[in-house]
Amino acid sequence: MTDPDGQNAIDRALIERAARGEQAAFSQLYDRLSNPLYALCLRMLGDAAEAEDVLQEAFVQIWRNAARYDPAQSSVFGWSVHLTRCKVIDRLRRRGRRLRLYVPGDDADDPAARVASSEGDAADTVGRSELAQSVRRRLLDLPVEQRQAIELAFFSDLSHHEIASRLGQPLGSIKARIRRGLLKMRTGLEQWT
Amino acid sequence: MIDEELQDQAALYALGILSAGEAEAFERALAADAELATLARELRDAAGDLARVPEGTAPPALKARVLGEIAGARRAGPPVWLPWALAACLALCCGVLGIQQSRLRQQLLAASEADPLPQVAIYSLSGPDASAPGGRITVAWAPGCQRGRVQITGVPAAAPGKDYQLWAVDAEHPAPINAGIVRVDNQGCANVDFQPGTRAPHVQAFAISLEPLGGSSQKTGPILFSGKD
Repeated sequence: MTDPDGQNAIDRALIERAARGEQAAFSQLYDRLSNPLYALCLRMLGDAAEAEDVLQEAFVQIWRNAARYDPAQSSVFGWSVHLTRCKVIDRLRRRGRRLRLYVPGDDADDPAARVASSEGDAADTVGRSELAQSVRRRLLDLPVEQRQAIELAFFSDLSHHEIASRLGQPLGSIKARIRRGLLKMRTGLEQWT
Repeated sequence: MIDEELQDQAALYALGILSAGEAEAFERALAADAELATLARELRDAAGDLARVPEGTAPPALKARVLGEIAGARRAGPPVWLPWALAACLALCCGVLGIQQSRLRQQLLAASEADPLPQVAIYSLSGPDASAPGGRITVAWAPGCQRGRVQITGVPAAAPGKDYQLWAVDAEHPAPINAGIVRVDNQGCANVDFQPGTRAPHVQAFAISLEPLGGSSQKTGPILFSGKD
């Protein structure tokens, strides 16, 4: 069962306990978040060793900043993703590199692509796996021009101006495609589309 | 109903691809519009969901390293007495002006039950001129265990859409090191433990700048307070 709110409720309980210094709660949160965050790092960096380094930095930062998580800003997962992406971008800028340009569909050269871990409660794991499948289906259901713009924005470090230039499209069109696509991605935002 | 241009900005903001100036302008709009703030939160979560698309499994050994680093940080220095010793130290700093640093260090040494004893440096931060916000800010920093505490009294809350962010100025790093955002309560007070994301063995000063809500990976806003030990 895909239930983003239910998943977030579990994450929130864990991060609140982690903020109080409970390492056991943080360990559970790690189990819940590590696979997608690692896959994200690997997709954006293209290097398993660097992905591990950045992921370690990200989780240490999550631990240190657990008390600063603000539910009004985003879900725990969204907050963790944002923090991790910032770490990836910081790492590459320190080394004077641009992010590997994500080409949609290039999973063939991803050496670490595997089925998600089965750690944790079985039912909860199934729930998260179904949520991931739901996200992938919604992304695939988008019109190709919306999906392309969103994937470039999220998995590369291009600005919206650079995306427009790269795709040879007007800036306004790119912004509209990103907006419409992202709105469709989020369950419950149908009234905006 | 939110106009399409603001919806566009909300989507770009959620993906983190607005320029610093565009993000700042959007955050001002966010602070003034609850409906827009709700939409921005939903879009940020939608953007976050994109991280579920790639498949992969974190290496099993990585978990042990993460938990080990956290546990190691907790065990570094004298964790049992440092928090209250720092609090005692800061209470003295904030309550009595002109306390000698050597006297503070003597008090910390006397309070310690650990061996060896780490150094604790005290930094009093002030504004560059009369235009800076009022209040008192003191940072206690233990370079040996790379942890510190910042205590703030009488500082007004940051403007809507902004956050105060603490930076460590270290001799070995050309750019200030992020030490986290600091938010004051309704009385303008804060008492926050911090641990910079990058090792800072030779901190020369601490500073607080005004950054976009949620902070910045690099200092972008004006310095409001700074101080050396």
